[in-house]
Amino acid sequence: MDNLKYSEILQLNRAMFKDIQGKPYHVKVLSNITVNSIKELLEYTLHVNKINPIVKLGNYDNIVQDSANCNDDDLVIIFYNLQNVIDGMSSYFEGVNDELYISIKEKICNEIDIVFENLKSLPVVVFNMFSAVEFVNSYFHQSKIELLVSDLNRYLNLIKPLHVHLINTEKIISQVGVNHAMDLRLNYSSKAPYTLTFLKKYLGAIEPIILRNTGKLKKAIIFDCDNTLWKGILGEDGVDKIDMSGTSHDGKIYNYIQQIAVFLSKRGVLIGLCSKNNEHDVSDVLMNHPDMVLTNNFIAIKKVNWNDKASNLKLISSELNIGLDSIIFVDDSSFEINLIKEQLPEIITLQVPTAIYEYPNKLLQFVYKYFNLYGNQADENKTEMYKQQFVRESFKDKFVSIEDYLSSLSISLTIHKDKLSFVPRIAQLTQKTNQFNLTTKRYTENQIVQFVQSEDDFVFSISVEDKFGDSGLTGLCIIRKNLQNSKEVTIDTFLMSCRIIGRNIEFAFIDYIFDWLIDQNFETVTAEFFQTKKNDQVKNFYEELGFYVENDNTESKHYTIQLKDYERKKVEYIEVVIKMNEQN
Amino acid sequence: MVDVSTEIKNVMSAVFEVPVEQITEDSSADTIDAWDSLKHLNLILALEEEFDISIPDEEVGNLFNYKLIELIVNECRK
Repeated sequence: MDNLKYSEILQLNRAMFKDIQGKPYHVKVLSNITVNSIKELLEYTLHVNKINPIVKLGNYDNIVQDSANCNDDDLVIIFYNLQNVIDGMSSYFEGVNDELYISIKEKICNEIDIVFENLKSLPVVVFNMFSAVEFVNSYFHQSKIELLVSDLNRYLNLIKPLHVHLINTEKIISQVGVNHAMDLRLNYSSKAPYTLTFLKKYLGAIEPIILRNTGKLKKAIIFDCDNTLWKGILGEDGVDKIDMSGTSHDGKIYNYIQQIAVFLSKRGVLIGLCSKNNEHDVSDVLMNHPDMVLTNNFIAIKKVNWNDKASNLKLISSELNIGLDSIIFVDDSSFEINLIKEQLPEIITLQVPTAIYEYPNKLLQFVYKYFNLYGNQADENKTEMYKQQFVRESFKDKFVSIEDYLSSLSISLTIHKDKLSFVPRIAQLTQKTNQFNLTTKRYTENQIVQFVQSEDDFVFSISVEDKFGDSGLTGLCIIRKNLQNSKEVTIDTFLMSCRIIGRNIEFAFIDYIFDWLIDQNFETVTAEFFQTKKNDQVKNFYEELGFYVENDNTESKHYTIQLKDYERKKVEYIEVVIKMNEQN
Repeated sequence: MVDVSTEIKNVMSAVFEVPVEQITEDSSADTIDAWDSLKHLNLILALEEEFDISIPDEEVGNLFNYKLIELIVNECRK
């Protein structure tokens, strides 16, 4: 993927949806930043490995809440970026006092606990370790953000369950360089800090995890011999002139390759040879050559003859009783590599690079991607037991339910009515909000001004604050009197910015509005829902509030409720501040 | 050597998942259904990669139709 352009990947990905069928693999990406560009890249990665992907992105900054809805997913990936935490603060993080530091750290650790608890039955979870390298730091003094990252990562390592993989984000960033990994500009405008370069590298980093959990790991590496395991051609140069010595300039690369093969063999990978040579000559080298590292006891199968390599590899596949798609084939010859690519496309091929010093790294990249080198079950069980003990002790005082967690945030809602100075922002909200939007009516500033000034319309807007910051004006409800019936009003617009979804704020807001309507002697409220591609999540919002469905077509629903029948949701932990009689 | 106009249309076709024939000089966020703020980010990233340019912050929010895109891309390529 590194070599392909983003637009090429998008096109290839699209085409593969028709070709790759089979059991769908459900992936969810949860984040507190904008990483939606990862969706197609992730789909492509899965497609290339012949997996049928269904990738969904969670709601913005709803990691904790979304983690409660992942029970049907095969893989959940979590991007928890500290930029978001920093942005919510009102003073430069380096000056944070001890009390606030501890408070922030505990809040994040609690969120991690809840998320891991919610995701405990998933087959695999990928959590990106916290990183500080993208912030400006001293090179000789640990900054507060670096300390926080260190504390949080230590916590992650301590409590993480077996099925959670922690990704070393800083390692990935350092591979491409901070300036190539981070996009300050899009971070500033859209909270989208990661570049395509970073995301592509990231997917390369987690690909082995996906392969491991979808049964796509390989089982065997089959090597050619001449100029693959040693320098030179045995049949032409003779046994004395081929070079695989650990000390010679030419030989040492090949020596290293053989060491890698031995290492793999000891870990259960099947190593084999497939070479066009006299069998006797190669056996002689394996048994008698002083520099040979990959000796017979590490080799599971040999096909040394003058037949074509496709036939040989087919025999290897059947004799080892493994699928062709479990084999990696390494050869220096373009002819052989292309033959196998054409005849046996299920086999993964690796051509020895012309720049020979690149050979070991190329081989290792394949190795780390396609084989599971770690995971000694006994050791992992011991560590797991120790960790569970620790978690049991420390979990007692922690928040387990989402309600408890939300309570701890000290959420407060400020409600304004008909405030003229908010008109630009209100109009903007109607134009930009797509998901939590019941009717998706787009208004200009002039239209909002008319609503605000009219005696028959009421414009309620809300801003939300919590322990860590203020979200600004993020919710809107426009109520219009029914001119034919003075006791009836209709909800023309009800929307919330995705920044404040998932905290039950909509219920506190409606509770307040309905109380106000009752105070004003209204009796009936009508409302509508218009279906769009984006607002599926609020399809049943009015049903949840107890409205009666008068009319239900596929694309819209019409509701009504008698205010005397309305049962308050009473969200205890949200404080409501009313600002009704302000200066405009 | 493909010309800039064709390349831009290819990129837009890939990002919005519409056939390239449907991308015209008059195409804009109003005529292309899939063109929302999230896909807009993808478009910016794709254009920058394709032409090896960096689009200034203040322009990013303006690139909501084909004509402006062509203008800015050519500007940035100088």
